[in-house]
Amino acid sequence: MEFFIAQVLNGLSLGSIYVLLVTGFNLMLLVAKIIQFAYPQFVVISMYATWAVLRATNNVILAILVTIVVSIFLNLLSEPIFRRITSIKGTDINATFVASIGLSMVLVEIMSHSLNQGFPISFSDNWVGGSVFRYGIINISRSSIFAWVGGIIVVVAFFYLLYRTMVGRLFRAIAENRHVAKLFGIPIFKTSIMSYLIAGLLGGFIALLLSMLIGTASPWLGESVALKVLAVSIVAGLGNLKGGLFVGLALGVVESVAIGYVAGSWSNVIAFVIMLIVILAKPKGLFGAAVE
Amino acid sequence: MNNNGTTFLKMNNVNVFYDSIQALKNISLEVAKSEFVVLIGANGAGKSTLLKSILNIQAPKGSINFKGKELTKLHTDEIVANGISIIPEGHLIFNSMSVLENLQLGTYHGKKKEQSIENIFGYFPILRERKEQTAGTLSGGEQQMLSIGRGLLSDPELILVDEPSLGLAPKIVNDIFDILVKLNNVGYTILLSEQNAKKSLEIADRAYVLETGNIVMEGQADDLLNDEEIKDAYLGGSI
Amino acid sequence: MSSTLMYFLGFSMTYILMAWSIYLPYRVKHLHFLAVATMAVTSYMGGILSVNFGWSFLPTLLLSIVIGALISYLISHTIGNAPTFTVVIVGITFVFIIKTAIENTDYLGGTIGLFGIPVLDHPLIILFAFLLVIGYFLYRIDHSRIGRAASVIFTDENLAKSMGIKPKQIGMLFQTISGGIAGSAGVFYAFFVGSLFPDFFTFHLIGTLMTILFIGGYTTMWGVIPAALILRGVPMILPSSIASWRLLIYGVLLVAIIATKPKGLITKKMLWELLKKRSGS
Repeated sequence: MEFFIAQVLNGLSLGSIYVLLVTGFNLMLLVAKIIQFAYPQFVVISMYATWAVLRATNNVILAILVTIVVSIFLNLLSEPIFRRITSIKGTDINATFVASIGLSMVLVEIMSHSLNQGFPISFSDNWVGGSVFRYGIINISRSSIFAWVGGIIVVVAFFYLLYRTMVGRLFRAIAENRHVAKLFGIPIFKTSIMSYLIAGLLGGFIALLLSMLIGTASPWLGESVALKVLAVSIVAGLGNLKGGLFVGLALGVVESVAIGYVAGSWSNVIAFVIMLIVILAKPKGLFGAAVE
Repeated sequence: MNNNGTTFLKMNNVNVFYDSIQALKNISLEVAKSEFVVLIGANGAGKSTLLKSILNIQAPKGSINFKGKELTKLHTDEIVANGISIIPEGHLIFNSMSVLENLQLGTYHGKKKEQSIENIFGYFPILRERKEQTAGTLSGGEQQMLSIGRGLLSDPELILVDEPSLGLAPKIVNDIFDILVKLNNVGYTILLSEQNAKKSLEIADRAYVLETGNIVMEGQADDLLNDEEIKDAYLGGSI
Repeated sequence: MSSTLMYFLGFSMTYILMAWSIYLPYRVKHLHFLAVATMAVTSYMGGILSVNFGWSFLPTLLLSIVIGALISYLISHTIGNAPTFTVVIVGITFVFIIKTAIENTDYLGGTIGLFGIPVLDHPLIILFAFLLVIGYFLYRIDHSRIGRAASVIFTDENLAKSMGIKPKQIGMLFQTISGGIAGSAGVFYAFFVGSLFPDFFTFHLIGTLMTILFIGGYTTMWGVIPAALILRGVPMILPSSIASWRLLIYGVLLVAIIATKPKGLITKKMLWELLKKRSGS
């Protein structure tokens, strides 16, 4: 039982990361109308930025700032590409997905050829942090606490933004009906740039939390994370922000429990098999899709 | 031109195409400040397209001038910021958002945000009662009021009203038309598109008649109301 | 024939086969990456059948087509008319699961790979003949009532339904055929290369196939042919320092084509105009 609880607690910290990822992904899907499969790649590159700054200067504040700036910068940089694609007559959201796969390939190749000679990076023990609480085999690390607290703060702040501010109302208005939003004079472009900015900010936080939590990154980390993010979004219902919270957390817990009880890399598969079964049973998601 | 005489909205040789089909042909039209102008015509005559072309939603070719600014070069949000708003057909609002949130969205281009929402509650007290309610749960008439209220909040000088009577009960249609008259009396310029020709000619100053994308007739509303051809075609013979 | 040329032609033709298996379901907007997982399954199945059980090529090929089609057919009951990204994620998830399963199964060689599959004596001729058969088959589908119905579904599914077209039936049919083609591609790959590695059947392959399909153009079956030849061929003549960036170049090209000519280099319209000019003069 203790072991189970330990795995669930671990899973919740991993789940917080998935929640943040799928939230950023869904935001761009709802507002900018893109499937940004390369979003997790931007997170991984931001983790490389954290690592590089820490190694060069050992300055934590600088590392945090640089990570967030890099993440925002990369997301904003992709905006003109996606805007161009969505503005071509006769194209649909599939085109943005295909382009983001291309983008993803480019980033993986850059990481695997040029960054740290393609070797995985690992973060210092100072950054990862040790255990802060131990009870039997239940061991709570500093990074887990950061992930929980950080996750909760960021999610609460995000939903506050979404439901209590003008920018949030603009986001929801465009998500509900683009055509009406346009008729009413809501600036679609400006608002969708805001969505890239917010997703970039989220991505920066994710990179920091993830680098502490798993303490390592590799050029191929982004691919499997991207797969999970898209899967979570679809299991919840494509673009369903609240559903994403639940499914993201659930994925983290299932994965972590599976790692605890199943040997080797088979454990990786279990979460996927479960998600696959859910998708096959409910192709439009558990909580209903917000996007066609 | 009657009324004040200064050029306010002026469309000159405007053409609109949907793919290869021409929806508006050489439209030239003027609206003076504080005027109440109505576009009448059958379903599909191009009334709605005309209103949307002013907001540059259906990319118009030609010239549309508003207070000295060329609208065809501006994006829709810039046009709204310049003082034109639309009350779209089918009382379109954001159904999943609350009444208050819909109004708050309306103030995006407006200046005195809190105060203006209070004004709208003055016009439509029912909206104050329902302000926390989800807009999708309102009745058709209430949605239309919300839609009008929202349209007023961007501080427009010109309001484009697209088929406000569509799908509403006669009693509510009367209320809505009364509101439009009231708004015109307090200084809003109104360009209304309406299938209900008789009712709209009664309240408007001037009118344009559209047929298959062309303006076929224009004049004082009273004159058109007594015109034999108009009577036959749009007023159901002898009323 | 030089071995470089042989490899070039053999790989190109296998990729054309794979790209076709992605092309057909995309006629109804399904990016059917289940085909990539199927290819992994049948290539390993073919390898095991020939190495451990002495099966010859032809029965292995036929069984693979049946197995490939069967996998896709069974899955198509739930995703035959699913939204695009549901089909995508089901496919990629299968790719990931199959890859992990292979890596963890010693019988299949695990991460080390499966070796010693007897290579065909005349792979190019057999592959070419097979490509002709599949090409003809696809051409007939594209120019049949079903092909036209698929075009309507692509532009407007509701319109298609109102015309009495059943999107699910067509989706299931295309996914099933896609599975069959992918099944054959797996066996050709195994009997051409002679060794199998789980790493081959991953995002790289998905990315490469997407690049071939979208650069060549998804509106006609002919686009993938020059795209596969060029995208496979050019890196082979480039110096290896540049060729090792192959996937990066693919990625850049993929983004560039979607942002400029989203229908790809070769489109149906273009072929029509070419044909008209011919017959006109």
